[in-house]
Amino acid sequence: MAYVATRGGERAIEQSERLFREEMGPFDRERVVEVKKSLPYLIDRVMGEASLYDEDLAALALAQTGGELYEAVLLLRAWRTTQPRLQVAAPIEQDCLFTHRRISAAFKDIPGGQVLGPTLDYAHRILATDVLQGETYAPKPVEPANKPSPAYQPSVSAWQAENDLLDPPAEDPTKGNDIPDLTREPLLFPSKRAHTLQSLARAETGGVLALGYAAMRGFGQAHPTVNELRLAEAEIAVTHPDGRQFSAGRVKVSQAEVVDKKDEQLGIGYAATFGWNEVKCIAAATLDLNSPGAEKGSPTEEEFFLYHTEGVESSGFCIHFKLPHYVTFQSSLDAMRDAKAKKEAGAPKQQEPAE
Amino acid sequence: MSLSTLTKPWEAMSYGFLDGSAKRELRRKMLKSVAVPGCQMPYASREVPMARGWGTGGLQVSLTLVNLQTRVKVIDQGADDSVNAASIRRFIARVAGTPTTMDTLEADLIQSRHRIPEEILREDQVLVLQVPNPEPLRSVQPNMSIARQMHADADYGRMWLQLYEQIVRSGRVMQGASYPSLVHGRHVMTPSPIPRWDVPKLHMAKHLTILSAGREKRIFVVPPFTRVEPLVFSDVPYKVEEHGALTCTRSGTTGFFMNEIPQDDGTSSFEISDSEWGVKTIRARDGEGENRGETWYKDGEMPQ
Repeated sequence: MAYVATRGGERAIEQSERLFREEMGPFDRERVVEVKKSLPYLIDRVMGEASLYDEDLAALALAQTGGELYEAVLLLRAWRTTQPRLQVAAPIEQDCLFTHRRISAAFKDIPGGQVLGPTLDYAHRILATDVLQGETYAPKPVEPANKPSPAYQPSVSAWQAENDLLDPPAEDPTKGNDIPDLTREPLLFPSKRAHTLQSLARAETGGVLALGYAAMRGFGQAHPTVNELRLAEAEIAVTHPDGRQFSAGRVKVSQAEVVDKKDEQLGIGYAATFGWNEVKCIAAATLDLNSPGAEKGSPTEEEFFLYHTEGVESSGFCIHFKLPHYVTFQSSLDAMRDAKAKKEAGAPKQQEPAE
Repeated sequence: MSLSTLTKPWEAMSYGFLDGSAKRELRRKMLKSVAVPGCQMPYASREVPMARGWGTGGLQVSLTLVNLQTRVKVIDQGADDSVNAASIRRFIARVAGTPTTMDTLEADLIQSRHRIPEEILREDQVLVLQVPNPEPLRSVQPNMSIARQMHADADYGRMWLQLYEQIVRSGRVMQGASYPSLVHGRHVMTPSPIPRWDVPKLHMAKHLTILSAGREKRIFVVPPFTRVEPLVFSDVPYKVEEHGALTCTRSGTTGFFMNEIPQDDGTSSFEISDSEWGVKTIRARDGEGENRGETWYKDGEMPQ
C-alpha cells in the first residue's frame, strides 16, 4: 500500500465549519428581517466598520456569522470590494443633513437649538427582567413637541469660524473620482486627509475607543470638548448619465466635532461614520484632534492609530497566531541551541578572574 | 444611456473572485516590483474571503495570475495537507477553476507559507510567498513611514548594528527565520519567515518569486537570476539550520529541512518538512516509480 499524504486536513476544516454553523441552525430571510428590525444599532456599527451602507446585507452578515462581529465585518468588506464603483455622490454640507439629534457641550444653547433626539443617555439602565417572566416590553409612545425642531441646522463650528474662534479647514476642491479612496489605494503616511477620515470612519469601534480614551485620560495633548454631536440622515445625490441629478435615498450618518483651546484659536477634530455610532465618532474625533504634531509612535499619532484601529487587519492578524508556526519555531530553536552550546563551550574562560 | 449600460449584468462573483480593477492594480504593482527587485511596493490590498494574516496577500497574487490551465500547489510549513493550505487550495480551485497538484515539479504556481520546496524550481514556475511582515527594519524601526525613508536612503546601519549586537551578546546571529537579505545589491528585504535553510535557494534562482503581504499592503519580488545575499559580516559566515545530517523517521530521506517531533522519552524524532518530497521518497522506496526532481541541497549541503 502506497503512502499517501493524509488528507485529514480538508475533512477537518469542513467539519469544524459545520460544527460552528450547527449552533445557528438553518436560517432564512425571516431571521435576517428580524435581526434588522431588532438590532438597528448593531447594524449601524457593522455598516460603519464595513464601510458599506446596506442594512439588509449587514443583517444577513450578522445572521450568517451568529453575531461574530469581526467575521460579519469581513464578510461585508470582502463582498463590498468586488462591487463596481458606479458613481461618486455629491458632497454633503453639514447644514444639509436631515438632523435627528444634535447636541453641543460647548454652549448652553446654540443657533438651531439643542436637539436631544433618540438616546439612552438619561435612561436608567435597569434590565427589563419582566420580559423573561413573560411580560411584553412596550415602550411608551413618543409625544410630539408642540413646535418641531428644524430638520436642517447650521454647524456650531461655522458660528465659531464667523466669530474668529477657529480657522475652518480650507475647502478641498477635489471632486468625484479624484477624491482619494482608501478602499482602492494603500494608506501611506503622512496620510491624505480623505484617507484619514475614511480610515476612522471604518475603524473598529473598540479600537478607536481604546486609543481615543487613552488620549482623553491624558496620553494626548488635547482635551476634547464636544462642540457638536449629530445623528442625521444624508441625502445621496447622484447624477444620472443624462445629466439629471437625483436622490438615491437617505443614509443614516453620525458625526462629531470636538474642539480644544490651541493658543488663541480652537483646534478641531472631526469624524463621521455611516450609521449612528456616537461613541466611535467622539473617540475618533478626539484622535483627530490630537494628531497634529503628535510624536511619531505615540498612540495619538496618525500612523499609530490608523494602523491599529483597522479591525479587519488587527483581528485577522490576532487570530492568525493560531496557525502552525513550527518552521519558524524550529529555526529559532536551532539558533538558541547553537548559542547555548557556544556559551557552554566558552564557560571555563568566563570563570577566569577578571583582569 | 442608462445606468445599466455602465456596468455588466450582475454576477455573484468575478472570475477568480477579484474584480478587474483589483487585478489590474496588482499586475501593475507586480511589474513595478520586478523592475525594482526587493523594493516594497504599496498596493490597495483588497479584502478577500479569508482573514487578514491568513495568506490574503499571496492569495491576491495567485488569483490575479491564474487561468484555467494554471496548475496550483499550496503549502503551509512545507505541507500540502496543512489545514490552511487545504483551505486556500480549495478556494483558488473553487473561484478560478484551476487544476491543483501536490507535486512541486507539476505545479505552474506554488503559493507557500514559510517554506520553499526542496526540489529546484524552473524558469516556467512562479513561487508566491505569503508575508506576515514585509518590513525587515520593523525590529529597529516600527514606523512604516520612517522605514520607507530608510530604504530610500539605503540606510541599513541599524540593521547591521542589530546583527553585530547579537553576535556580541550570543556569539552568533540570533535571527531564526525571515533572515534579512540584500536583493540585487540595493534593497534589504525579508524573504518572509522561511528558515535560513531556504534563503540560498532564492539566490540567482531560475524562477520568479513574488512576496505579498495582504494585511500590510506591500508586494515585492525576486526576479529570476537575481542576487539575494543574506546580511553577514565577512568574518562570520551565514549559517543555515543544522539539519543536513538529520534523517526523516517516516521516509528515511536525509539532508533536508526537518520538523522536530518531541517524544515521550524526552528525545526528538524528525520528519521531513517538505511533505511531498517525503511522499515521493516513500514511493521510490516502495518501487512505485521515481519522480523526484533535482534538489537544491545535495547531501545536506547547498553547493556554492
